[in-house]
Amino acid sequence: MEMIQRIRDWLEVRIGLDELIRENLTEYRVPKHINLFHALGAVAVVGYVIQVITGICLLIYYIPHADHAFRSVQDIMTRVPYGWLFRQMHVVGSNLLITAVLIHMVTIFLMGNYKRPRELTWVSGGMMLIITLGFGLSGYLLPWTQLSYWATTVVTSIPTAFPVVGDFFTRLLRGGNYVTGVTLTRFFALHVSILPPLFVLFMALHITLIRRIGLSATPFGKSDEEKRPLTEYRKKTHPDGHPYYPYLLEKQAFMGMIYFMGMFAIITFAPTFFFPEEATVPADALKTPENIRPEWYLLAPYQMLKLIPNKLLGILIQIILVAVFIFWPFLDTHKEKNIFKRPVLRGVFIVLMISMVILMWWGSR
Amino acid sequence: MVMGLVLLAFPLTAFGDYREEFEKGFLTKTWSGQQPEENFCIECHSSDKMKPEFLTIAEEWKASWHAQNQIACHDCHGGDPKDPSMSMSPHRGFVGKPAPNEVPEFCGKCHIGILKNYLESDHGKAFRSSGKGPNCVTCHGSHGIQQANIEIISEQRCSKCHSYERARTMKQALFLTEKKIAELSQGLLNLRKEGVYIDDERMNLFSIQAEFRALFHSVDVNMVKDRTDEFSHKLSAVENRIRATERELRFRRNFSALILLFFVSMGSVLYLLIKTPKE
Repeated sequence: MEMIQRIRDWLEVRIGLDELIRENLTEYRVPKHINLFHALGAVAVVGYVIQVITGICLLIYYIPHADHAFRSVQDIMTRVPYGWLFRQMHVVGSNLLITAVLIHMVTIFLMGNYKRPRELTWVSGGMMLIITLGFGLSGYLLPWTQLSYWATTVVTSIPTAFPVVGDFFTRLLRGGNYVTGVTLTRFFALHVSILPPLFVLFMALHITLIRRIGLSATPFGKSDEEKRPLTEYRKKTHPDGHPYYPYLLEKQAFMGMIYFMGMFAIITFAPTFFFPEEATVPADALKTPENIRPEWYLLAPYQMLKLIPNKLLGILIQIILVAVFIFWPFLDTHKEKNIFKRPVLRGVFIVLMISMVILMWWGSR
Repeated sequence: MVMGLVLLAFPLTAFGDYREEFEKGFLTKTWSGQQPEENFCIECHSSDKMKPEFLTIAEEWKASWHAQNQIACHDCHGGDPKDPSMSMSPHRGFVGKPAPNEVPEFCGKCHIGILKNYLESDHGKAFRSSGKGPNCVTCHGSHGIQQANIEIISEQRCSKCHSYERARTMKQALFLTEKKIAELSQGLLNLRKEGVYIDDERMNLFSIQAEFRALFHSVDVNMVKDRTDEFSHKLSAVENRIRATERELRFRRNFSALILLFFVSMGSVLYLLIKTPKE
């Protein structure tokens, strides 16, 4: 105990530890009616940290070369002590992370917390979601299995629907005309060295904006969101709210545990959930498997593209949808935050969600 | 900056046939589902113009063990399945249907070990001397060939030429080893369903099986009995590895269940903390 006190004192005189704790934990106030959904952002952070740690562990043994990638992944699964655990955590974690981020964005949408002055917070979050999908896509090829090879072949064909720049972009992604070892090394570079700094940049921006603007209160409780004209910067401090510690921190920790429970429930009871049979067969450019389909989170756009006869039109529609999603705070200027008081938006949202689920189910068949 | 330029310059130097590939594949075909390779052998042998006696060939082949293992018409008969004008050209190696006395060599192009043992067996000797002994298709059939198993040795089939007694003894000598091979194959398939890479072990088992079946084609019961121990030993090694992998999978499941339990406990404690009234 004396040792801990000495370390505390040492830090206190150098960095002002007590003040740091006070400002960020006990004196940092959060809205009174804060709920578990407010903790989803922190869950996403936990998810990213797990991905980084397990990713580094995998990186030690993975060989990004077409001749060795598959074998090195099999070695991680069978020969590296607890390599299977790190790989399972990384694979299951990537899927859970996308789920957590999607739920986080849906709840932010439902609570109207994207509205001014938090437009930039939403945009940076949307960019993080897109980068996360980029992580998923680039990481999917790395095990160099039949599943990953052919899914990547399909996905990297999509840009060719664009006139003029389409061919260039596909060639840029593939590093040639087909998915080859060059594509593997490119996707590897994308996965471990291009996307991470980009992601950290948006994450830093996202968290800075949250701290700078202040947390938004839920509109489902007693609404305390100001509807004043936005003429000057004013941080939302919630002086009548609860301290961050223990109120929100406990909720965040609890949701973090739920995240881990989901992860280990899948690893324990359904270890092959994300590893269908094609995922245990090495990539073979000459043998097309029967059912090529992308990951679950790309199934809805994939099925939509299949349904629209003109592929260029299909892709343009998807790009417009993504742009609307990212810049939604600038398009929705209605002052009411509570979606239950906005029947049209609520209807559109329900139709969109049902369509997404149907398209996903359809695409998986 | 320089790295960025290099990255952009590299793909630009590649020659592109994307447009053609894309339009052929992406725009005209569905994105998923089986993409059948062009095969004019199958096409002609399924068309109305084909003589009725040749019409069943394609269907028989599609249901065969050869088809399941991607052994197509041209692998045995030669020719070019992608070019209708040259599909039956001797210049492309087309040999057509072998004469009965050519059948062992025809199949033996791939099944080399079996051919050797067969030719040295009583079956092979009888076939070569009189042309009346059984050849490959007598027992295995041709286009509709199925995965070989011990049931091929049957009274109905063997007694066409001789008494069943000797064949029965051979079947008994083979039985336990064949049963073990079938069990191990199933064990490996189960491991694959559990996400384990089994191709190396499967190839190993396949080569043991092929060696054992080549031995059987000598139709020498004593030789089969003498060498059964040797095969049992090899199969035991495979079985031990399968059991070890199964144990490892059980350990993984229990280990992750333990971690799950830890997080459930932590979650429960935190839930109680959240529900505890605060000052």
